[in-house]
Amino acid sequence: MKQQESIPTSKVARATRFMKTGVKIGGNYLKYNVKKFVDPSTTREELHNDNAEDIYESLSELKGSALKVAQMMSMDKNLLPRAYVDRFQMSQYSAPPLSAPLVVRTFRQALGKSPLELFDTFLMEAQNAASIGQVHLATKNGRKLAVKVQYPGVADSISSDLRMVRPMAVALFQLNEKDLDRYMGEVELRLLEETDYTLELRRGQEIAEACSFIPNLVFPRYYSDLSARRILTMDWLEGLHLREFLATNPSQEVRNQIGQAMWDFYDFQIHTLRQVHADPHPGNFMLRPDGTLGVIDFGCVKVIPEGYYENYFALLNPDTLEVEERVEEIFYNLEFIVPDDSARDKAFFRDLFVRMIQLLAKPFAVDAFDFGNNAYFEEVYALADELTKVEELKNSKVARGSQHGLYVNRTYFGLYSILNELRAEVTTTKPAWLTSRSLTATV
Amino acid sequence: MDKADSIRSAYIDYLLTNGHRPASVFLFAKKLKLTEVAFYEQFNSFEQLESAIWLQFFEQARSTAEAEALYAQYSVREKLLSFYYTWIEVLKANRSFVLMTQAQVRQTGLRQARRIGAAFRRSFENYVTDLLLEGRESKEVAQRPFVIDRYPALFFGQALFVLNFWINDTSKGFEKTDSAIEKAVNTSFDLIGTSALDSVLDFAKFIYQNRP
Repeated sequence: MKQQESIPTSKVARATRFMKTGVKIGGNYLKYNVKKFVDPSTTREELHNDNAEDIYESLSELKGSALKVAQMMSMDKNLLPRAYVDRFQMSQYSAPPLSAPLVVRTFRQALGKSPLELFDTFLMEAQNAASIGQVHLATKNGRKLAVKVQYPGVADSISSDLRMVRPMAVALFQLNEKDLDRYMGEVELRLLEETDYTLELRRGQEIAEACSFIPNLVFPRYYSDLSARRILTMDWLEGLHLREFLATNPSQEVRNQIGQAMWDFYDFQIHTLRQVHADPHPGNFMLRPDGTLGVIDFGCVKVIPEGYYENYFALLNPDTLEVEERVEEIFYNLEFIVPDDSARDKAFFRDLFVRMIQLLAKPFAVDAFDFGNNAYFEEVYALADELTKVEELKNSKVARGSQHGLYVNRTYFGLYSILNELRAEVTTTKPAWLTSRSLTATV
Repeated sequence: MDKADSIRSAYIDYLLTNGHRPASVFLFAKKLKLTEVAFYEQFNSFEQLESAIWLQFFEQARSTAEAEALYAQYSVREKLLSFYYTWIEVLKANRSFVLMTQAQVRQTGLRQARRIGAAFRRSFENYVTDLLLEGRESKEVAQRPFVIDRYPALFFGQALFVLNFWINDTSKGFEKTDSAIEKAVNTSFDLIGTSALDSVLDFAKFIYQNRP
């Protein structure tokens, strides 16, 4: 109980926290202007750092959906220094656990019975906290079950949290309101979907069934008669989280096998199902010593629109990048380049994004990729760091990149970093139209 | 259903259908096909009748909560939570009546509201007093002479807060009221439990007594 006392939970408390940050940012601008007056060499860079620090400080105390937004935007736009991104990623949603009477009440309201009547056993103490609820361990007919119970009022607080984070996001990312709305709308939609467990149940079942042919993947069975909008019952998957699993020193074969299962899982979802488990957070995977991978939590699923899919993934084929007109056309479609850009801007951003894509698509350009290769990731981080220093990008008044990219990028970011930690070598299967001529020629 | 029960539900029914209190006991009794005397044997006035209705809500919530299989194992904090959740559930079945009472209180003033709520208040405070005694044994409630006697009244204030929050709650399925109850009870129990303040007071007392 001690820890929670420091988390401001009420809307008023959260709002005051934001106000405090607002005041501080105002102070930073004042400091900047005074400094600039005294010493003209003071850069805006310093101001950004001051601001980022204060914003991070207040966000890390906030948690909840506000933090999630910041997390995702910083990840996507590469605007926060890498050190901050790391810290953002470490912090997780944490809310005070639900009391036993409230758990009982939630069950009574949704399913008409207390959990003790519905299950053979039910532990009132939560096993762990999921992002917007908590997980209880139960048994029924000899089966071990995981029962997710959502905190009350989450859906309502998402919208008000996002409204509060808006003015800060404007300051932090220097976007105009209209562009921000596009991103925020996308985030809000996904977060709201996450609060509907009946949707998660349906998607979990659909994706699990569609992916059942992929070797070494394990999905929980879902129980619709024991689930409702705020209650989700599924099989309890045994296994370890990534860090714990790595601590057991699994062999390279086991790591490769799990990594391959994960790659195949995403390959199939993105290119065949066109909808993807968009939350490759280490907490959503259970790794087992026999080299199989359990996938839980289908709360965040991004359906990839046709137009976006065709443009974005065409870029992953190195052949596409060689045809300049095609690249330009795609960049327009994806809104990396906007019609208002001057010729100089256009050339600048095109080169920048081509470099970025070349680097990020590296695993696609070969048949097998060793994700344990830290040099590659250092290169990616170095580029990300470099991007934060690009004045043109920072001062650009338009948001670059379609809002659909928010979750697609997040998915790849998560997938890559898990594979990296796993140090897995993976055969990077991909659809034929994404395979470079240089690869097919050798076959 | 005994006679008092049937008069209570007939009265609620009358209020909700007509939107106001019956013009007289005589008229109301006649509608029920009772004699006025039969009414007065049970209740002295409409006000007392309403008071009995609120008391009944409380009694019903309390006995339902206590009948829950887990109730006996709950900590004092959880017992009170469980009571509030059940109480709100009981009130939900009578929301129109509650809203109407509130509208009426706005017109007639607080004094009448106090009279209507008096019986409920007495029983609720007794219930809380029992819980607090139990809490002292389980060390959930700190020993603080004098202050501790004020607790039941403060908890009644909390109950009114919960009631008021629920009346104004517009969230789906009154989910926000659930959060409000959870947070209000947790805060109150964090306050009445042993905290840094007790150590500070104890230390100050020690220094005072041992001053040179």
